[in-house]
Amino acid sequence: MTAQEVRLCGLLLREHYGEVVEKVGTHLLRSGAQNLRTIVHETGMPLDLVKKCLCVLVQHGACVFSLGRKGPGSPTEYQTSCSQILTILRYPRYIYTAKTLYGDTGELIVEELLQRGHMTMSSTVKTVADRLTQNMEDGRSMDYSEVSSSFSKLVETHFLQRCPPLPGAGTTDSTTPAAPSFSDCYKVPHVTLCGRGKRQLSSEDGEDQRNAKKAKLDSDTHGDEGIYWQVNFERFHLHFRDQAIISAVANKLDQTSSEIVRTMLRMSEVTTSPIATCTKPLSANEIFRSLPSNYNIARPILDQYLTLLVDDPMEFVGKAGESGGGMYVVNLHRALANLARATLESVVQERFGSRSARIFRLLLRKRHLEQKQVEDFAMIPAKEAKDMLYTLLSQNLAQLQEIPKTPDYAPSRTFYLYTVNQLPTARMLLQNCFKTVANLIDRRLFEAKENKRLLEKSQRIEAILASLQASGAEPEQLTEVEEMITAPEKQQLEGLRLHINKLDSAENQVDETIFLLESYINSTISVY
Amino acid sequence: MSEVKVKKETNLSDPVEVENRIKELCQQFPHGITDQVIQNDLPHLEPQQRAMALNKLLSLGQLDLLRNSSGLLYRMKDSQSTGKMKGSDNQEKLVYQVIEDAGSKGIWSRDIRFKSNLPLTEVNKILKNLESKKLIKAVKSVAASKKKVYMLYNLQPDRSVTGGAWYSDQDFESEFVEVLNQQCFKFLQSKAEAARESKQSPMVQRNSSFATSHEVWKFICELGISKVDLSMDDIETILNTLIYDGKVEMTVIAAKEGTVGSVDGQMKLYRGVNPVIQPTGLVKTPCGLCPVFDDCQEGGEISPSNCVYMTEWLDF
Repeated sequence: MTAQEVRLCGLLLREHYGEVVEKVGTHLLRSGAQNLRTIVHETGMPLDLVKKCLCVLVQHGACVFSLGRKGPGSPTEYQTSCSQILTILRYPRYIYTAKTLYGDTGELIVEELLQRGHMTMSSTVKTVADRLTQNMEDGRSMDYSEVSSSFSKLVETHFLQRCPPLPGAGTTDSTTPAAPSFSDCYKVPHVTLCGRGKRQLSSEDGEDQRNAKKAKLDSDTHGDEGIYWQVNFERFHLHFRDQAIISAVANKLDQTSSEIVRTMLRMSEVTTSPIATCTKPLSANEIFRSLPSNYNIARPILDQYLTLLVDDPMEFVGKAGESGGGMYVVNLHRALANLARATLESVVQERFGSRSARIFRLLLRKRHLEQKQVEDFAMIPAKEAKDMLYTLLSQNLAQLQEIPKTPDYAPSRTFYLYTVNQLPTARMLLQNCFKTVANLIDRRLFEAKENKRLLEKSQRIEAILASLQASGAEPEQLTEVEEMITAPEKQQLEGLRLHINKLDSAENQVDETIFLLESYINSTISVY
Repeated sequence: MSEVKVKKETNLSDPVEVENRIKELCQQFPHGITDQVIQNDLPHLEPQQRAMALNKLLSLGQLDLLRNSSGLLYRMKDSQSTGKMKGSDNQEKLVYQVIEDAGSKGIWSRDIRFKSNLPLTEVNKILKNLESKKLIKAVKSVAASKKKVYMLYNLQPDRSVTGGAWYSDQDFESEFVEVLNQQCFKFLQSKAEAARESKQSPMVQRNSSFATSHEVWKFICELGISKVDLSMDDIETILNTLIYDGKVEMTVIAAKEGTVGSVDGQMKLYRGVNPVIQPTGLVKTPCGLCPVFDDCQEGGEISPSNCVYMTEWLDF
């Protein structure tokens, strides 16, 4: 829990759940596991507010509670985790992935679940059907069964999972089951849902709202009470990782090779554990059979492609045996390490220039080099090479290793070797990424605050326009209202919108870097 | 009448005779003679007389005294070089000898002082003298630009002093290196393009996109952009820099001895490659490239709210 991570989590909590939740959340992040009394005491907030905040955090999986450390009978303790809150950054990416894989229905299901945290299947299906019906033409509505089938598909491919059952109050079983490893995790319950989505008619706004509220309190049993579903972030991460590997292969080699790797990864989706170093071996025969039908390449050509993939210095694919026409695996950890290394090199290149990037790559390859040797290998004049090396050193991207010739570390009699360590540098860059995203969010909020007056005015105008249109006003009235915003103000608003969109998309781009670096760092942590 | 071989009896008591005999022996054995050889030839010569004769010849500058693993060697000096040193005194001759021994690598003035045990002022005077007589020259070393090494006038300075093909007049030719870099890369890239367009089976495509270092060397020579002759090693150093740029990859294959370009039964093959990822997301934001990133704090002098770089970037 570094300072940058806490700052970023605070900003994200504030934006999505409000300042009160932010206060409780950041307090918990900083101080670890605490029980309710301590939280109330240290944040100085009233008890019921704290309770509500904790409810919000638990609902979204950001906070877990467990029995107190002092043994049974001690109050439950609450603990937040940074990584869970940081996934909020990635919500747009999850929704977009669901859309590409399962269409609009899938997109809306995932969106609903991300918004609500935990939901039962029936309520999800109903809400999504209503939303879809809203956007359809008059007279058509979405059938519940379609939405249910999309839901089931999502569960089958493990993108959604059941929430783990919570320990009952007062049980002596102090271990909460580890998140998704219990047996019924992916079993779709038998739900009796029939009906169609209801369209919300705009003329009965007030009434509908009351009805909607009533519907929520309605105990409409559908057979799946108590079974709550949540989004399986791990699975989405695995999917992103596969995407990254496939696009890297496409960039380095060609389209056909990337299709082959995509097939291999698809075949091992559910058989590979998330922390595996490489996928299970697949025989060339299996790969040949599972290739998509529009890629009719002959068997010997496929063998050639596989051999080329194995020979490539990037080592995306490895050969694990000869049976079945050759057994091939995808080297996941090595691919991640290569991608992380390419990320580091690209950062150095953009920041310091291509010659510094040459020195950086040289040091990555040759591990330890003296200054003279760096100049010789990189063919850069001595003065410039010295300057670049010192810059890299001051930015902590390179390190200096002293090897003394004499027991007194006399500078004239010591070897000074430059070196680059990939893992610590990746960690450092990851922290920089967090700080960057926090800066971008800060700037976005600042821009919005600067132009608050203008934004409020435009919102008021829009509301007036909408109500006038609904009550059937004449065009002159409409134009009169529109002219209340002057032209330069319109321009300013337009500029503001552009800025905020730019900052938003930049956040998503930095998040891609964060994902790569995080996956690499997590893959190097050996779990025993 | 048969000729009677008359052996001229060497009058051992005449020092000149001894010297002449020694000189004849030296001429007989151009690689040098040891004491042992002289003793064998003139068995009745006393060591004292021998030593006297040798010293006389040495001081006259007609003999060279060398040491090898088994003892001392005496060698005839070239008459030419003997002529050169006329008019120089012993000290100069000593310094000259020291410089000559250094060969094409040259020797630094401090080392001359150590070897000849002469004081600094003397050495400097002698060096100036020799330079004016055009017997030695000073060459600036590329490693330390202030250091001057001395070597014989007509010798070519060694590569380590001048830096080889990449240095001209002690300056590293970075534009030359850059140009070569670009040319090699273009050659490899066009080869890879041609291989890809040929649409043959992937194995053949990949193999035809490889170029051996010999081919690249020939290409560069034919291009004629280099005034200096470049060896295959030089080209390989250039290709290595391309590898460090991430634009080229290399493999080594076993080749038959005798195929052109193979060194010790191996050949190096180079191929242009594409980058693995696009520039990463972090560098698309101003924070990724910001020089004052570490000083940026919310509420400080430099903060996201008043960041100049961000303002420029947003208005772009």
